[in-house]
Order: sequence, then C-alpha cells, then structure tokens
Amino acid sequence: MSHTPDERYAFGESLPIAPVDPGSTVFVAGPAMSPAEDLATTMVADGCHGEEGSLFISTNTTCERLLDGCRRTHPDLDASRVGVIDCTGQVSGDRSHEAEVKYISTQSDLTGIGMKFSALYESLYMASGGPVRAGLVTLSSLSMYSDLRTLYQFVQTLSARIDSAGGLGVFAIDPTTHDEQSINTLSQVADGRIDVREADDADGQLRVRGLPDQPDGWQPFTLPR
Amino acid sequence: MAIRVLCVDPDEDARTETVERLRGELADMDPTVEAVDGIAGAERALDAGGVDCVVTEYDLPDGTGFELVETVESRAPDAGCVLYTGADLDRIDTSGLAGSITEFVGKGSVFGAERLTDLVRTTVERRAQATYPVPQSEEERVAALRTYDLDDPDLQASLDRVTDLAAAHFDVDIASINIITEHSQEFLACYGATEEWETMDREDSICTFTILEDDVMTVEDVTEDPRFESRADELLELGIHSYMGANLTTDSGLSIGPLCIYDDQPRSFSAADRAYLRDLAAIAMDLVELHSRVAVAESAPGTDPDRGSESGGDRR
Repeated sequence: MSHTPDERYAFGESLPIAPVDPGSTVFVAGPAMSPAEDLATTMVADGCHGEEGSLFISTNTTCERLLDGCRRTHPDLDASRVGVIDCTGQVSGDRSHEAEVKYISTQSDLTGIGMKFSALYESLYMASGGPVRAGLVTLSSLSMYSDLRTLYQFVQTLSARIDSAGGLGVFAIDPTTHDEQSINTLSQVADGRIDVREADDADGQLRVRGLPDQPDGWQPFTLPR
Repeated sequence: MAIRVLCVDPDEDARTETVERLRGELADMDPTVEAVDGIAGAERALDAGGVDCVVTEYDLPDGTGFELVETVESRAPDAGCVLYTGADLDRIDTSGLAGSITEFVGKGSVFGAERLTDLVRTTVERRAQATYPVPQSEEERVAALRTYDLDDPDLQASLDRVTDLAAAHFDVDIASINIITEHSQEFLACYGATEEWETMDREDSICTFTILEDDVMTVEDVTEDPRFESRADELLELGIHSYMGANLTTDSGLSIGPLCIYDDQPRSFSAADRAYLRDLAAIAMDLVELHSRVAVAESAPGTDPDRGSESGGDRR
C-alpha cells in the first residue's frame, strides 16, 4: 500500500493544487458551463495513482458515461476501486465494468443517497486500506429537490464521515444557482474552496482558498484527456 | 466533554458488545452508554434528555430503525443517528424518508465495529446531523457562556431596558436578547410578546444563524430566506416576518447570543439601523461583563476592606 493514513491527497501534475490534508472537504465552485465539474471529477479520479478508492455521487451523468470519462482521462484507473451512486434516474443493465454501482431513483431521496454512500464508502475503505476520495457532482443539482436545511444536514453528514475516515471530499457547486444565504450556509461544511473560471489559454483557471500551503491567486490548469 | 450514547438492539449479546466497545474506545469523551431493546425503551431514554447519539439496529421488536430515527428527530433534534445493522441495505426502503439523514454501518463488515466508534465520535464532535451550522469555536463559545452570571434579576432588569430601547427605536412589538446554549435558545431579556415564549430548540431559532456572523444579521422576509422558509409558517404565527440581530461578543470574539428585533411585516434595514443595533448590543455586553466582574469581586475573599490583606490568599 503506497498510502499511509496521515499522507496528504495529491493531484495530477497539470493541476496547480498542492496536496490536501486527510479529512478535508473542498468545494469546487464554478458556473455550469465552466470546467468546475470536470475538475472535481478529475480530483477524485486522481486517487487511482495512489491505489486509493474513488467514490462518486453523480447527479447528472450516468455511471457508464462517468466511468468511460474516467477511463479515458485516467487509463490506469482500477475500476474495482471505484464506486458510483447514480442518481440520474436512468438504471442501466450494462455491467461490463467492475465498479460497484448503486442506483437512486430520485434526487430527493437524500436518506437513500446518504446510506448508500456510507455502505460504498465502507467497502472502498476496506479495498483501499483507508484512503478514499469522494466526489459529489453536483451539490447544486440536489438543491433543486430539497430545502436548504435538509441539504445542509446531508452534506454535513457526508463531510463528517469523510473526516472520520481521513478521506477527501470534493463537492462541485454552481454558485450562480444559489443565493448568498444558501452558499454561506452550505460553505460551513467545507474546509476550503476552489473557484473555477474559464480561460482562453488553458482549460480554465482556478484559485484555492481556505486550505494551507496553496498557490496564491488565479492559476491556469489543464485537465487530462 | 461528557457524552451520552443510546444503543438500541434487540439482541442482548450484540447490544452488550456494542456498549462495551463504545465505553472503552470513547473513554476520553467520558461517555454514558445506555442500552435498550426497542423503541419504547429508547423513547424513555430520550425523554430523560441529553442524548447525543443513537446507535440502532434496523429490525426492532416494536418497529424499524427508521421509525426510531423519526422519534429521535422530534424528541432530541440535535442527536445524531447511526444505523448499525446486519440488515441488507437494499431491502431498506428509504424513498419515503426525505429529510431524515442517518449514518449506516454494516455490522458484518471487517472494519464495521471499529468504524462505528470513529463515526459516533465524529457525529457527536461535529454535531454532524444537525440542520444548522455551529460556529468553529463552538466549544469555547459555550464555555465562555458558562462563565457569566446571567440569572441575576438586577442584570436582567438592566438588559430589559436595552430591549425596550431597541423596540422603541425600531417601532417593533418584539425585541429580545437571546442566549444560544449548546442545544437551545434561551431568552435573557425581552420586550413584548417574547415574555410568553419559551426556550426553543436551536434548529428552530433564527439567532443560531446570527452567531455565525461577525456582527449583524438581517432577514428582510423570512418567507424569502432559504434558511427559514421551511419554518416560515410557524415564524409568521409568532409575529416574525423580518428580523435583525446583533451579537453580544466577548473580548475574545465569541458570541454568547444576539440582541434582536422582530417585525411582523417584511422590511429592509439601513446601515444606520445596523449601526444602532450594534451599539445597543455592545452596551448590553458591557452590562453583562461589568455585572459578572462585580459579582466575582463581591464573592472573592480579600476584597473586604475591614479584613485587609490577611485573607488575600497569597501564602507564599
């Protein structure tokens, strides 16, 4: 095992993000058309380099498309260390992948999403010997089906589980779809925030706030493809 | 911190094992771990108060683990729930349970028992299943709150004058100074209908959000604010349509709770409005601080001028 519980979570070379402490939850914030969602997915899939587990809660992308995308960007991804909670409402019979997939029929069922997250987290925790990266893509999509208090409780519970297991949480959020009070309330669960914006000369620019030892200001980044 | 955990499991051997494990591994949290076999027993334990976390099986003799979770939500809203079960997750129907968030740990898993302890610890420490955020310095904040002598009638009479001034200035029917304790909101001083209000759970309190802010929080219309819209009907019934609160802040920057005004109409608040309430809150905090200092001075030995320095306590 190449990872000890105290080791920080590192990212691919093309991402100007320094390794992040275990137990952290990070928001990746950018409007729907920005590369924020792809960045969040990449930050989780990057776990394949360290034999870590990767767990996705996917609201808009079916598990097949998500896994195809991850395999393309991360050719050494071991699907047996990947779990997906597919909340798109489209159940597929395709079992050609080894990833563990659980389906949720409606995004309003936060209880079900949370419990299946817990169950998959445990099984990946065992498979990886500890380190698991968890991605919620996207938090904003869930907000269309639940009130703020319920959603807050949900993300706080996810974040606490990630904290207790020394994992890494990466939650994608589109700040343009929430009002200020909602963003401020939801942000209470995050240790840090990565803002994402479009750029002409790169896939995008990002700025890290709230996490220790990170580059200052806006930095260009490239996503693997 | 001393915590209370309730284990609900119909299987006596499993129950005993869980209790002993939690007692041992959470020893640093000074835990009280109780065990019951079903919902009826759990209700009695919850009503006794102070439960921080409930660890329950899914199949119970008098219902399901989820029925118990709903009971916990109404009787101990700040307590977290962990479903610790051998039941197959896929057989548990969660679709009708929008809103109740519960942790799940499989009893059969190799790491299950070990992870249960970690999760109970984090759930309690982070108050992971509360529907409201707590300040990062919550533990220090609650500790600071305990250092003040807030029950004194003289102090409360002085603070009542501050709420009278706030209500008169903003022309509202209700103004109060609310203390946010670990799990509830208590009224320290009030003008108007709040004299009839009782203690409320933190999740029902607007002020529990105010203490997250640096100084003043305004809510122009509770029906339009995502933090309160799901409770708007109850708030309107209490005569609360809009709100402004300014924190009473200690020297080290911890809020013990806000001075606030409530209007029965939607309204906006100007910078001058905020500044005025901020000043009144600062005066109220000065009263609290000075009163506590006087109380400490009066009760301390060595301050009686007739006895001089002989009881000063310096025996070196």
